[in-house]
Amino acid sequence: MGTKTLERVSAMPAPTWHSLKMNDATVEIDEALAPARDIAIETDAELGGADAFDAALDAAQADWDAEFGDAPVLANYEDEQANRLGGLALSEYQKGVDAAEASKSLRAMYEQGMGEEAARWLAEMAGERTSLNVAASKACSASVLVRGIDASVNTAALDVIVDDGATLELAITVDSPVPGYGITGTTLRIFAGKNAHVTVRRVQTLDDSWTDLDDMGLFLSNGATIEIFQTVLGAGHTYTGLAGDLRGKGSTANVTTHYLGHGEQELDFNYVLRHHGRKTTCNLYANGVLAGESSKVLRGTIDLIRGCKGAQGQETDNVLLVDEAVKNKTVPTILCNEDDVAGNHGATIGHIREEQLFYLASRGLSREDAEGMFVSATLEDAWLNAANEDAKQAIVRLGNTIVEDFEEAYL
Amino acid sequence: MEQDTKKKRSQVDDIDRSMYDFIKDESGQEHLEAGLTPEIVREISEKKDEPEWMLEKRLKALDIYNGFPIPDWGPSIAGLDMDNIVTYVKPETDQQASWEDVPEDIKDTFDRLGIPEAERSYLAGVGAQYDSELVYHSMQDSAAQMGIVYSGIEEALHDEKWEGIIHDHFMTLIPPTDHKFAALHGAVWSGGSFVYVPKGVKLDYPLQSYFRLNARGAGQFEHTLIIVEDDADLHFIEGCSAPKYNVANLHAGAVELFIGKNAHLRYSTIENWSKNMYNLNTKRAICDEGGDIEWISGSFGSHVGYLYPMSVLNGRKARSSFNGITFAGAGQNLDTGCKVVLNAPQTSASVETKSISKDGGVSTFRSSVVATPKAKDSAATVSCASLMLDDRSRSDTIPAMDIRCKSVSVGHEATIGRIGDDKVFYLMSRGMSEEEARTMIVNGFADPVSKELPLEYAVEMNNLIKLEMEGAIG
Repeated sequence: MGTKTLERVSAMPAPTWHSLKMNDATVEIDEALAPARDIAIETDAELGGADAFDAALDAAQADWDAEFGDAPVLANYEDEQANRLGGLALSEYQKGVDAAEASKSLRAMYEQGMGEEAARWLAEMAGERTSLNVAASKACSASVLVRGIDASVNTAALDVIVDDGATLELAITVDSPVPGYGITGTTLRIFAGKNAHVTVRRVQTLDDSWTDLDDMGLFLSNGATIEIFQTVLGAGHTYTGLAGDLRGKGSTANVTTHYLGHGEQELDFNYVLRHHGRKTTCNLYANGVLAGESSKVLRGTIDLIRGCKGAQGQETDNVLLVDEAVKNKTVPTILCNEDDVAGNHGATIGHIREEQLFYLASRGLSREDAEGMFVSATLEDAWLNAANEDAKQAIVRLGNTIVEDFEEAYL
Repeated sequence: MEQDTKKKRSQVDDIDRSMYDFIKDESGQEHLEAGLTPEIVREISEKKDEPEWMLEKRLKALDIYNGFPIPDWGPSIAGLDMDNIVTYVKPETDQQASWEDVPEDIKDTFDRLGIPEAERSYLAGVGAQYDSELVYHSMQDSAAQMGIVYSGIEEALHDEKWEGIIHDHFMTLIPPTDHKFAALHGAVWSGGSFVYVPKGVKLDYPLQSYFRLNARGAGQFEHTLIIVEDDADLHFIEGCSAPKYNVANLHAGAVELFIGKNAHLRYSTIENWSKNMYNLNTKRAICDEGGDIEWISGSFGSHVGYLYPMSVLNGRKARSSFNGITFAGAGQNLDTGCKVVLNAPQTSASVETKSISKDGGVSTFRSSVVATPKAKDSAATVSCASLMLDDRSRSDTIPAMDIRCKSVSVGHEATIGRIGDDKVFYLMSRGMSEEEARTMIVNGFADPVSKELPLEYAVEMNNLIKLEMEGAIG
C-alpha cells in the first residue's frame, strides 16, 4: 500500500507567484486506510438520495434560462484571436471565468471549495450521498457526528436542499473520542431556494494524529441566506474549502471561521465566493490564534462578476501570532469585473500589542500567561457558541488535552 | 439620443499620443537577426568587447531562459514571439556628451520628449538610450566634483576602476534564475546606466535616464545599476516611451539598487510605453541598516505589463515605501504591484497603490509581503484602492502575506469601487462638465503618487491621466 496524492486541492482561482507556495494544497493519503462509513445523522428533515441536488440545480437552471437565457453574455469572452495584439491578453484564470460565463450552465459554474478531485474522493469514501430535504416554508434541524475511527477514512457526503422560504439548522461535529490515526471529512452541496435560510455550524476537535477535510459548495437563489460557522480547533492537518455561487438577486453568504493552531498543526483554508446576482452580499470573516509551531494558509477570493450590480463583498482575516515558530500565509483576493460594486478586504496579522501586555502585566499577568489566555479563550468561545451537546463535549475533551484543567478553570 | 450616448460610453477613440507616438527612420541602424540563439548572444558580447566573465554570464543566462516555463499566473504573452524579436539594434551613433553631437533625428526625438530642456532646468545629469545603446550621457560638473559617477554601464565596465564593482554586483540582486525574463535580460542586456554615490554625499537634484525604443519589433534590455554608499542620498528618475507599431515590442530591463547604511534612494518612474509593448521589467533594491528606498511608480502604457519592484530590507531599521499608480485602458492588461521582504529587526514597509481601469482594460494589483524569522519588531502596511470607470473593465487585487515572525505587525486593506455619482453631481453643480468632474476625481485619486513626483513629472502624469480620460464618460 502506498500513498495517494490529491494535487491542486483548494486552489485559488487567480493564482499568484508559485514561489510563495500558497496557490493550492497537496493532500497525502495513506492508501492503507479503509473507508469506515460510520456517520450518525439525526434530523427532522426528509432524507433522500443523490438526485435531489441535481434536480434542484436543474430547476434553478430552467428559472435562470427563462429570465436570462436570451441575454447577451456580459463577460469579456473572446476567442484565441484575443491574444493577438489589439485584443486583450487575458490570463488563464480571466479566460476561465469568461468561458464559464459564456457556457450559461449553472452546473458548469457550480464548484466545490476543495476542487473536483478532492470532492469526488470524499464522496467515494463516503459510499453514497445522503440528502437532507426541507420542504418549502418548513423549519428543520439536523445534527451530524463524524468520529475518527482508527486506521480508517470516515467521511460523509451530504446534500442539503432547502426549498423556498424554508430554514435548516445543521450542526456537524467532527471529533476523535478514542485514540487512533486516520482521516475524517465531509463534502457538502447546499442548495438554498428562494428566501431560504440555511445555517451550518461545523466544529472540529480532532487530536493531532488525524487529518480532516471539510469541503462545501453553496448555491443561493433569490433572497436566500446561508450562514456558515466553522470552528477548527484540532487535527494535525486541516483542509477547509468552501465555494459559493451567489446566483440569486439579494442573496447573502456569511462565512465565519474561528481557528486555533497549536503544536505542529497545519491549517489550510480556501474560500471562493462568486457574485452573479444583483445586490448580493458576502462576508468572509476569519479570526484565529496560531501557537506553538503551527502554520496556516488562508486564501479568500471574492469574485464580483460582470452584471452583479449593487453587490458587496467583504473579507477579513485577523490572526494573532503567539509563538516565534508560527507561520501565517494570507492572500485575500478580490476579482472584479463590475463597476457598481463595493469590495473590501483587510487583514491584521501580529502579536499582542505592547500596551496590551503592559496593561495585563499591571494586573499581575506575565507575558506567557497572557499568551496562554488567547488559546484558552478561543476554546472557551467555541464552547459557548457550540450548537449542541456533541460539540460541547468534543470541545471539552480536546480543551483538556491542550490547556491544563481547561474544564475546571474556564467553563 | 440614448443610443448615441450608449455608443459614446462604450466606444472611446484612441487617444492622441502624438507627443510620444512618432516614428523615426531606422535606415543606417545596425540590426542583429531576430530571435535568440547563442550566436546572437556571442555577437552582442563581441560588439561590446566585453570581459570573458560577462560572456559566460550571458550564455549561462540563455541556458536558464530556455529551461524556464512561461509564467502561467499572469496576463497572456502568447502574442510575444521571441523568434520575431530583434534583441539588438544599434543607433547610428556612439555615445555623446553633447546634444550637438547627437544625430539630428535622434536629437529631435529627445527634444520632442523634453529631455534636453529638463536637463537644463532641474536635473543633475541625464542619460538617453535609443533602442539598444546609450546615445547621450552627461552630468553636471558640480555632481562630478562630489565624486558621483553617472555613466553608461558598458562604459564603466571598460573602466578598471569600476569593472570589479560591476562584477561583484551585476545580476546578484536579480539572478537569471529569478524568472524567465530576468534570464532573458541576463542573456541579451544592452545599454543602461551605472551610478555610484560615495559615502555621505547627498545630491540635491535628480539624475534621469530616458529610454526610447524606436525600432519596430525590437526589444530593449537596458541594465541600471545604482550603488548608494552609507549616509548618501540620491533621487533617480526613469522615463520611457515608444511609438506604436502593429507588431509586438519587448522591454525586459533590470534595475538593481544597492543602498548602504542610513542611505536614501528615491527611484521614480513614469512608464509610458506604447500599447504594443510587452513590459516585462524587473526592479529590485536591497537596503542595509537604516537604509531607505522609496519607489514612485506610474504605469500608463504597454499592452501587457508585469512589474513588481521589490525591496529587500536586510539591515536593522531599513525602510521601504512604494507609491504606485496603474492606469489600464483599452487593450491593456497591466499586472503591477510590488514585493517586500522584511529580513532584519525593526524594519518597516509601507505600500500604497492606486489602479484605474477603463474601456475594457484589465488592471491587477499583485503584491507579496514576506517577513522572515529575523524580522523581529518589524511592521508593514499595505493599502490598495481600485477604481472602475465602467462595467467592461476589470480590476483584480491579489495581495499575499507570508509572516514567519510573531512580533511582526502587518496591516492590509483594499477597496474596489467606482466614482460615486454624488461626487460627480456635486462637481457638476459647481459648473463642471461630467468629463471634467470625473477627470478631477481621478486626478485626486492619483494625488498620493503625483505629489511625490517632481513638479514637472507630476504635471506630465496629470496630462497622461487627462489624455486617458478623454471621452471616458461612463
